[in-house]
Amino acid sequence: MGSPIKPPDEENWWDVPVNRRESIWLGLSAIFSVGIFGWMSAWTRIGDQNPIGETYEISTEEFQEKVEGYMDEAERLDGAIVPPGDDVYVAGIRFQWRGLPVVVETGKTYRFHLGSYDVQHGFSIRPEDVLSQHTNLAVLPGYEWVIEMEFDEPGTYHVICNEFCGVGHSSMHGRIEVREEVNV
Amino acid sequence: MIFGLFDNDYDEDGFRTCGVTGMEIHRTAENHVKVFGLTAVVALLVGGFFSIGVSMTRWELVGLLGSESFYKWLSLHAWNLLIFWMVFMEIAILYVGGPMVLGRRLPITKVAKLGWGTMVTGALVINYAIWTTSAPDQAPLLTSYAPLPSSPYFYAGAIVFILGSVLAALPFFVTLWQEKKWGEGGSLPLVTFGAFATAIIAVEALVGGLIAFVYAFLWRIEFLGSIDAALYRQLFWTIGHGSQQINLVAMVTVWYFLTHVVGGAEVVSEKVSRTAFVFYVFFINLGAAHHLLSDPVVSSGWRIWNASYAFYGATFASLIHAFAIPAGIEAGRRKRGQGGGLFGWLTNAPWSNPVFSATVFSIILFGFVGGITGVVMGQLQLNMTWSRTLATVGHFHGTVALGTTIAFMGLVYFVIRTMFMRDLAFGRLASAQPFLYAGTMTFATLMLMYMGLLYSVPRRIHSVVREIPGSDFSLSAAEPLMMIFGVFALLAIVSGAAFLIVALASLLLGERKVPGADLVPDGGVNFESDEPVHKFEMRGTFVITLIFLAAFLAVYIANWYFLSRLWEIGP
Repeated sequence: MGSPIKPPDEENWWDVPVNRRESIWLGLSAIFSVGIFGWMSAWTRIGDQNPIGETYEISTEEFQEKVEGYMDEAERLDGAIVPPGDDVYVAGIRFQWRGLPVVVETGKTYRFHLGSYDVQHGFSIRPEDVLSQHTNLAVLPGYEWVIEMEFDEPGTYHVICNEFCGVGHSSMHGRIEVREEVNV
Repeated sequence: MIFGLFDNDYDEDGFRTCGVTGMEIHRTAENHVKVFGLTAVVALLVGGFFSIGVSMTRWELVGLLGSESFYKWLSLHAWNLLIFWMVFMEIAILYVGGPMVLGRRLPITKVAKLGWGTMVTGALVINYAIWTTSAPDQAPLLTSYAPLPSSPYFYAGAIVFILGSVLAALPFFVTLWQEKKWGEGGSLPLVTFGAFATAIIAVEALVGGLIAFVYAFLWRIEFLGSIDAALYRQLFWTIGHGSQQINLVAMVTVWYFLTHVVGGAEVVSEKVSRTAFVFYVFFINLGAAHHLLSDPVVSSGWRIWNASYAFYGATFASLIHAFAIPAGIEAGRRKRGQGGGLFGWLTNAPWSNPVFSATVFSIILFGFVGGITGVVMGQLQLNMTWSRTLATVGHFHGTVALGTTIAFMGLVYFVIRTMFMRDLAFGRLASAQPFLYAGTMTFATLMLMYMGLLYSVPRRIHSVVREIPGSDFSLSAAEPLMMIFGVFALLAIVSGAAFLIVALASLLLGERKVPGADLVPDGGVNFESDEPVHKFEMRGTFVITLIFLAAFLAVYIANWYFLSRLWEIGP
């Protein structure tokens, strides 16, 4: 009797045969496990969406200087920052996004430098019209995360903070304007 | 009256024989199981109460609480349910799986009592700290992500609670040591083996948690000048996710136990099921890395290796149990002549017994809802579309509410009948309760997932669907789903309350009734047959697991499709 609350009936329980269907299931499970590992691993090479980029340790003051310097230097278009080059700086500070709103071009690869002036924030982007297309990245104080992004559809992309950062957290909102051409 | 709950008849040596399981139960083991179990039920009551404010605030039509209260209620909901309800139950499960199953007394009972007292103290301090949070401190939620400060009492309470849990687990380890030293030798019963695996995983998690909270505490009292946000995240999740792995392994152990004693299930292969537990011990705690998938700092190789539990070693183990446990029911019932076609063994099972129905719902819903989504969102890239949205909240309600909580509800019913020896009050309500809770909570959980995935609704936020303060933009497209969620969340709360009413009424007002035929499977627990169990048909289970794999693949492919529609991110 195969009771789970008694020691196994057979002393050599390791040698008791396994039911054929259970054996088939073990095979399927093993293939599945290795398969999804392989796919995830392969996507880092063949896929276009990977949360991968260089991280730099940086003090809050240094990062603040960088971001504020970038903002001073950048021109404005309809109240939005136009990045002078390929670098876009975004910093979370309770309860706003420094560096947003920003206007960027479709088809151009930007390096987003994500960081925080105070606590942890969540950098969550979605286009206004297709809410199911969204992405969520962590923003940590003390670190600058440089992650590349290239938008292919023009439109307004809304950034919401989705990591709790204090009682006013739900008002923390910003925009990325994606246009086919940005002419200042 | 309270002491009347501890008055079973024992022989001179303090033992009695359980009429349902045939186990030799010592007074010390039984009384401690009761105390830890009752404490867990109180935590469920408290945490369940706070779910009212959480769900009825997120349902912005009602908008019950203001911003400041909401985050406090959310924190209290999380800590009481995810931690206190679960961990008190798990200590009780260790005492069942150790001394009770092995027919031993509970050793070092003073340590067990001290552990209980310490855990209760920690839990009270945490509840107090969260409730009295005031600026500059913020409600900790579950994670207390530094450098956002929480009350210093919160970190202190967490440290005390963790120490108490380690103390309370010690008698279990001593029991195993005694069994190996003085017992008859040979292998441990499977349930004890599963409890042992749970305990090892628990100690890893608790030690990690101790480091995390001591680090944060020292920073909060300004002994340390600064705290590294990334390091804290990594340390926190050793216990943050590790504790959920304890829930999982304890739950699987309970599945083996309850399907056997009330459903007549048998272990179809000791080798396969034990190997799966060993896989858990090696790999499951690596899964804590799931929480750092959309993070900077940690390398992609580190993330892929850990979040996949090393080539999905722990997922493989769960897939093994996904077959072995239903197959145990199928083979066990076929052996008793309760087969009948492909699924007759399942349809003619004792569904009116809430212990059985709760266990089976837990198995099915954990697998289909919590398990599949956990693996999917635990993939490096897919995590970007799940992380910190309501879909994540849906996932862990699939695991800890639909899975662990329902299983533990079944276990509480079982303890009420077999250890407290009380008849279940409101018999029909008791039979219906697992159906009600499983049904309503499943809907609420699915709505959370849809809102997160299809409408990008964040978690841990006071209001965002109807209105984002100071902005014209909102996620109001999610409003219809939020309406459905709100209604089903309310119904789930009512169904959860029904559990508490049945449990507490049975304990306090129920008639004393020696457990018997109402719990025992057809032919008795110890049904004997010459035919070995692995030779019985398992085709019904095979079909169910193939459907499961198909559902898994469908969800997997759909998620990758959604991801591939995104703009380009990363190199």
